[in-house]
Amino acid sequence: MSKLLSVGALFSAAILWSVPLHAKDMVFTSWGGTTQDAQKEAWAKPFAKQSGVNVLQDGPTDYGKLKAMVESGKPAWTVVDVENDFAVKAAKDGLLEPLDFSIIDKSKLDPRFVTPYSVGSFYYSFALGYNRDQFKKKAPKNWGDLFDLTGFPGKRTLYKWSAPGVLELALLADGVAPDKLYPLDLDRAFKKLDTIKPQIIWWSGGAQSQQLLASGEAPIGMFWNGRIDAIRRSGVDVGISWEQNLTAADALVVPKGVADKEAAMKFIAFATGAQAQADFALLTGYAPTNIGSKDLLKPEVRATLPDEHTQSQINLDMAYWAEHRDEIAKRWYDWQGK
Amino acid sequence: MTSVSIVERGGGPPQRRRRRGGGFSYVLPALVLLLIVFVLPVLLLLLRSVTEPELGLQNYRELVESATYGRVFLNTFLVSSVVTAITVLVGFPIAWLLVILPKRWADLLFGIIILSMWTNLLARTYAWMVLLQRTGVINKTLIGLGIIDEPLTLVNNLVGVTIGMTYIMLPFIILPLVTTMRGIEPDLLRAAALCGAGRLDAFRRVLLPLSLPGIAAGGLMTFVMSLGYFVTPSLLGGTSNMMAAELIAQLIQSLLNWGMGGAAAFALLVLTLALYALQLRLFRRTQAGRA
Repeated sequence: MSKLLSVGALFSAAILWSVPLHAKDMVFTSWGGTTQDAQKEAWAKPFAKQSGVNVLQDGPTDYGKLKAMVESGKPAWTVVDVENDFAVKAAKDGLLEPLDFSIIDKSKLDPRFVTPYSVGSFYYSFALGYNRDQFKKKAPKNWGDLFDLTGFPGKRTLYKWSAPGVLELALLADGVAPDKLYPLDLDRAFKKLDTIKPQIIWWSGGAQSQQLLASGEAPIGMFWNGRIDAIRRSGVDVGISWEQNLTAADALVVPKGVADKEAAMKFIAFATGAQAQADFALLTGYAPTNIGSKDLLKPEVRATLPDEHTQSQINLDMAYWAEHRDEIAKRWYDWQGK
Repeated sequence: MTSVSIVERGGGPPQRRRRRGGGFSYVLPALVLLLIVFVLPVLLLLLRSVTEPELGLQNYRELVESATYGRVFLNTFLVSSVVTAITVLVGFPIAWLLVILPKRWADLLFGIIILSMWTNLLARTYAWMVLLQRTGVINKTLIGLGIIDEPLTLVNNLVGVTIGMTYIMLPFIILPLVTTMRGIEPDLLRAAALCGAGRLDAFRRVLLPLSLPGIAAGGLMTFVMSLGYFVTPSLLGGTSNMMAAELIAQLIQSLLNWGMGGAAAFALLVLTLALYALQLRLFRRTQAGRA
């Protein structure tokens, strides 16, 4: 009996006991899929070679896990790729380490995506995408066309979660001037969305959005620009309209209490460097956050990136979203489920 | 199982008692593990539901008062009920087929069912998406055959969720049913026929009542698993078919509202356990009534 008990205890202990990291190890966590593959190629591998720090990959990013790790006092993740509005909220909630800008060179980074607790990981746009096969006569041009059910019939696909993007484009389609977007007029946005609600198919992840657009199930919708580009490269005839493209960014953050802060800062410094950012952009179609990266990219690659389409570009206001995230979410899911 | 049979062959009552104690100590590691990785976290989450953002029942109040949560819970039970009913209807004949087919064919059919269980859930769900969508194989075939003019809406609604989940749940009803049906004496059906029962009567009065324990066990498992389902409804359903698990995941992972998430999770757990208790009771009564 006592022997069995001790075996049981040992077994439980083994489950609870996480293997301690080697002193020269760090863990980078991101969203998995092609994005993280590219981050591994462009950032982690060359960084490991240069610094001798072994970069382990984990994922996908899970905000609940991040919070639990910080609360436990010993986060296993060293650097995490998160959405920018979450970075702002998490900093406010005290979940993040302040970044060390004596190691990270802020002067070369796009100031839109820098806060004391986060720097831009890469940035992307929500752009209008459409399947050319279904709109042969006339191609949709702007967010207004997304709401034009007679001119452009069929299902439309929009981002499912309560996040910056959908409400903004509804307001823009309804004629709100870009500089008058914030604070968001939620009533007006939902009223506009009501006009196409039965025709909306919501996509919850990038792969699903691609499947919907490529198959023609939803021939028009809002997409992450890199995803449209990837479909096009696979040979499907899809179009993209950059008019009033909405920029959002991912951010690199360091969970509060990480063991090796210096490795974390050095990794971020490397990942946001001009070369690493250029390499990542080449692999994914997302734009670099380092202003020096442009010169390292070929012109034809640069043309597919959101930073070549800044003319009517609108920056989603992450500070506003961080402030109102919870109350918007409540209304969003209530409206969506009706 | 084995320890019990050893005990029974072993004889005398004092010895039996001691052996039973020994059996318990074998279960102990599993119990300790469950306590640590299941009971404790559930209690901690429950605690958060009454302490975050402040001490009190505000999360439960919101749960009861808000129309959204009510709708999501109602939908969860609706979808689970529909899926369970259809799974039983579809699974029953398959299970019977597995019992009466020659061994070689039964093995093949069994292999197909098991193999589908081993395939990645996400891959299977995406496969359904491709099959069911407006431009998918099913709609194209039906239009090609001239049966329909307009594509049917088979996905992003309740139909899609039901089809996808029924398919995923099938093995969980077939396996317990097969076990139960294998225990049914084939002579009983023959006897029924000899006594003049038609096929329908034999099914209704012999096969069905004898299969009931399997239906109950499999049905309960399907229902309870459906209640906590997440991936399939999220991909094949529309937003008006949101399930409780999806909402809870959203609250925990993305909105970091652990108080509310804990309250919703606890409500789902209590409702599930209540249904389980009810089912056990009803089932015991029918069994007792028969005996």
